[in-house]
Amino acid sequence: MTSLPPAAQYALFLALAGAVIIPAMLVVSLRNIVHAAFWLVPCLLGVAGIFVVLGSAFLAAVQILIYVGAIMVLLLFALMLTSGIGVPIGLVSRNRQSGWALLVASGLALAIVWTMETHPFAQTVEAIPARSAEAIGRSLLTTHILPFEVASVLLLAAMIAAVVLARREDEE
Amino acid sequence: MSAVPVDFYLALSAVLFAIGAYGVLSRRNAVGVLMGIELMLNAANINFLAFWRNIAPKAMEGQVFVLVVITVAAAEAAVGLAIILSIYRRFGTINVDDVDLMKG
Repeated sequence: MTSLPPAAQYALFLALAGAVIIPAMLVVSLRNIVHAAFWLVPCLLGVAGIFVVLGSAFLAAVQILIYVGAIMVLLLFALMLTSGIGVPIGLVSRNRQSGWALLVASGLALAIVWTMETHPFAQTVEAIPARSAEAIGRSLLTTHILPFEVASVLLLAAMIAAVVLARREDEE
Repeated sequence: MSAVPVDFYLALSAVLFAIGAYGVLSRRNAVGVLMGIELMLNAANINFLAFWRNIAPKAMEGQVFVLVVITVAAAEAAVGLAIILSIYRRFGTINVDDVDLMKG
């Protein structure tokens, strides 16, 4: 990444930003919820591309595996088990307060960007360490073993909770 | 060091977060609300990695935090979708405007 000329780095960033933002807008605005769910895939792949550009190929792989692989399948399953794809889904996809939602969301974006521009960050010129996947694995099993173990307990709890919640009540 | 300054990534993440927030606030379908939440979590992850890359590349916390966020997102999606399925069985709809049993 750092070997590319600056102009190419900017072009790559802008292309990836477009690949994230445009599908994201379709995800929140399309009427057909199944189409919206499928547009989530290019958006999440674009985020994985941003991760690669930022120098963390390992997290990009994790992003594709978990988000594009697991979470997308869960979302599509939930859509097919509830509203169904063949059924014409209500013509109005927005709820009653969507005008306010647009106002709040654009105000939020403006506020974040304004705060960011008025408080510049001191950027470092340090290079990222080579073999970052190895460094993550090492730190997960030494320094950050507590969040690692907490995450495993959380996953177990979530798995049991999902099974209990999704079970039919007449089976009890 | 990357030529693209950290502000560009932060602006991208702010826009993505706002789009996700709009989705959460405006979708009628509960699964659409969850998709908005996923967009917001992704925006936070871009921020974590942009700060890691440009402010503190030697610290592991940036990447470890992103891993934890992705794990929590997976757990959240599983539990959230189970709740949505159970709501659909009971009410026959997942329109968040119609499920207002606990509205005072």
